[in-house]
Amino acid sequence: MKTGKLMSVFAAMIIAASTLTGCGSSNSEITVISREDGSGTRGAFTELMGITVDDVDNTVASAEISNSTSVVIQSVAGNSSAIGYISLGSLNDEVKAVSVDGTEATVDNINSGEYKVARPFNIATREDISDLAADFVSFIMSADGQAIVEEKGYIKASDAGAYTSSDMSGTIVVAGSTSVAPVMEVLADEYKKLNSGVTIEIQQTGSSAGMTSTIEGACDIGMASREVKDTEIQQGLVPTVIAMDGIAVIVNNDSEIDNLTSEQIKQIYTGEITDWSEIQ
Amino acid sequence: MKLPTGVKFSNIKMGDIMRKYKEKIMHIVFLISACISIIAVVTICVFLFANGVPAISEIGIFDFIFGKSWKPLENQFGIFPMIVGSIYVTAGAILIGVPLGILCAVFMARFCPKGLYKILKPAFELMAGIPSIVYGFFGLMVIVPVMQSLFGGSGKGMLTASVLLGIMILPTIIGVAESAIRAVPESYYEGSLALGATSERSVFFAVLPAAKNGIMAGVILGIGRAIGETMAVVMVCGNQSILPEKLTSGIRTLTANIVLEMGYAADLHRDSLIATAVVLFTFILIINTLFTVIKNRSRN
Amino acid sequence: MEIAEKLISYKINSSEAINTRTLKQRLREYKGRPMSLILKLLMLISIILSAGVLVMLIGYILVKGIPALIKFFPSIFAWEYTSENISMTPAIVNTVIMTVLSLVIAVPVGIFAAIYLVEYAKRGSKFVKIIRITAETLSGIPSIVYGLFGYLLFVIALGMGYSLISGAVTLAIMILPLIIRTTEEALISVSDSYREGSFGLGAGRLRTVFRVVLPGAVPGILAGVILAVGRIVGESAALIFTAGTFAAVPNSLTDSARTLSVHMYALLSEGLYTEQAHASAVVLLVLVIGINALSGYVAKKLVNR
Repeated sequence: MKTGKLMSVFAAMIIAASTLTGCGSSNSEITVISREDGSGTRGAFTELMGITVDDVDNTVASAEISNSTSVVIQSVAGNSSAIGYISLGSLNDEVKAVSVDGTEATVDNINSGEYKVARPFNIATREDISDLAADFVSFIMSADGQAIVEEKGYIKASDAGAYTSSDMSGTIVVAGSTSVAPVMEVLADEYKKLNSGVTIEIQQTGSSAGMTSTIEGACDIGMASREVKDTEIQQGLVPTVIAMDGIAVIVNNDSEIDNLTSEQIKQIYTGEITDWSEIQ
Repeated sequence: MKLPTGVKFSNIKMGDIMRKYKEKIMHIVFLISACISIIAVVTICVFLFANGVPAISEIGIFDFIFGKSWKPLENQFGIFPMIVGSIYVTAGAILIGVPLGILCAVFMARFCPKGLYKILKPAFELMAGIPSIVYGFFGLMVIVPVMQSLFGGSGKGMLTASVLLGIMILPTIIGVAESAIRAVPESYYEGSLALGATSERSVFFAVLPAAKNGIMAGVILGIGRAIGETMAVVMVCGNQSILPEKLTSGIRTLTANIVLEMGYAADLHRDSLIATAVVLFTFILIINTLFTVIKNRSRN
Repeated sequence: MEIAEKLISYKINSSEAINTRTLKQRLREYKGRPMSLILKLLMLISIILSAGVLVMLIGYILVKGIPALIKFFPSIFAWEYTSENISMTPAIVNTVIMTVLSLVIAVPVGIFAAIYLVEYAKRGSKFVKIIRITAETLSGIPSIVYGLFGYLLFVIALGMGYSLISGAVTLAIMILPLIIRTTEEALISVSDSYREGSFGLGAGRLRTVFRVVLPGAVPGILAGVILAVGRIVGESAALIFTAGTFAAVPNSLTDSARTLSVHMYALLSEGLYTEQAHASAVVLLVLVIGINALSGYVAKKLVNR
């Protein structure tokens, strides 16, 4: 008991003392950061990079897992030897996006098809969708809605014409992916400006929870940052792609790496490369 | 003359009856209130088990609990690494938080100057109120870099999570232990002093043992908070679903497993997460039973 | 040893009393009693460490949050949330509503249950034991499990949807054992002579409980309520799956509502609004300080009365 006390006090003291001088050390062993199983971002990333082969996700077991984009950013920002991937719309100057196969991660390059790491943002509705929700969906797909999508750093998915308000009123409940929610909030705000009698409730519950509540009728529109599953379509969901989102591969700002080939990224994420020195 | 007295008499009787009824009714109200915790536990059991047990039986109980591979998309649902992770992290938090907390509680209850106490007491109450998500971000921004510079690697892992949880359970333990120490009759302390012991000796060897049960309650609360902590742990433990090799290895706890994947999970994956909650729940039942046994034994 | 002297001298300076002893006298007392000295030092180190961590934590929140708060002022406090202002006002209002609702449900039940356990039930009876075990079980259940349970029962099975009331009932069950336990301890600590005195004067059991025992136990009960409020305000895991994340002030109990903690979680999850999240952490901190101060004030009032 006594030694335990002493030891823990001692340990805690070291922590307190070193906090005052605290700074990150640089080591060249790669810290691999990934997202949780089932995440739309991870699904798309592993698929596109060839990490998932025949539905088997070969991500190395020692990869750190995070369920939040912001934690991925913070972890990479605070660790000079880390690598992670996030939605392009969330990229900020705390971290550096590397080029993949020599192509920078920009909206233009995704549009032109040169940057290949992108995934769809889906919404799903029931077949017996209300007129109001249908009108909101048509707004999202219109030129006005898609302009907002582009303004927020995503890639538009439709070339439909302008939206004309038919002065709707009522309440729409939207639930699902936390990745889609930010852009959906902006879309909802704009829609409310055009249709003053409408209330739009947005729930950030995650893609699958969103799909389930749409099937169960708890909400009108579900959001998913992944493909809508066949089992969900069988239960009466109608999916619509509202935008494409690029996935940026990020490293620490102090990292010397600016470009990685998709083969190298694959090897890092499957554990074949474990040290930055192995990358020229 | 007779009539008024009669009225008065029956008034008193009415009052008596009213009071008796009131006593009876309130007795029943109290009883029902007391039963609510039983009802709650039963309902929670029913709902969790009804949703989780079918998933466990579909996966196979042995594969589920002792399986070392968690790849839900490939139908591998083994939560053994998470069970181990939860145990390690909680033990680490207790090792750090309990001694610190008890020492602080003793100081607060016995040796603290009044002026300092007026600052410390609300400070620790404040500490209890700080949301776990704030602790999590604090851990990520402050403790993780420290661990990185001390031990190398990513800085996330078992040790970091233990330290953070140790900090988080401090106020709980301090609060409960302090009031338990204060509840010990002064005569214990005075008696020990009279026998020639220093005041520190008296407090630690006469007062503290007498407050054992109360402190134990605080430790139970602390364990409860540590094992159940989700939002903070998930940010600093690394979340690798593998068995840890060293103190700084990344791990995933049961709670982290649920909160990480619940948003995206569907079908059997979702049910397997509820099954994870069932395991967590069973775990807590075991801990509580153990503590009850220990407590009873120490009393006899 | 130098550190030890410093610590002890600090201790003496901070507790100037009439019969102050000099440092030398104090140290001499410890001569030949290394155990006592070690214990004392351990205590001082622990308290400095714990307080230090708290100072660091608060410092971190303020340093990160206040600049963000200034940067986005005043739009961050706009009455209505939009994707442009990321206002936290609705979340603050929701936090208050959620806290009050949960307490309204849990506090009476918790106090009544404790009264039954301490004043009515036969001490040590099987029934009391079962209640105590279940209460301990409840207090050990992780909030994420409460979240799942609330989701399965209130949101899905009872069809209440993501709503204030689903969240409040879930939280009420969560804080119930805390209130039972603290009230119980407070009631037990009221000396039996009070009860005997009251019975002796002819008061019934109910009257004794409400007029004599309960007032004496108020500070203890309030301490429990403070802890409970802290848990409610800080809770995010149990609320995400029960009260949802809708960022507006609800019109009714059946509307979804995000509290400040959930607001912070939602802001953090996509990494777009990290600064705003820090700003809401400051407000959360101020809220917690305010609640604690208020409870302390109320407790003082009650004790003085």
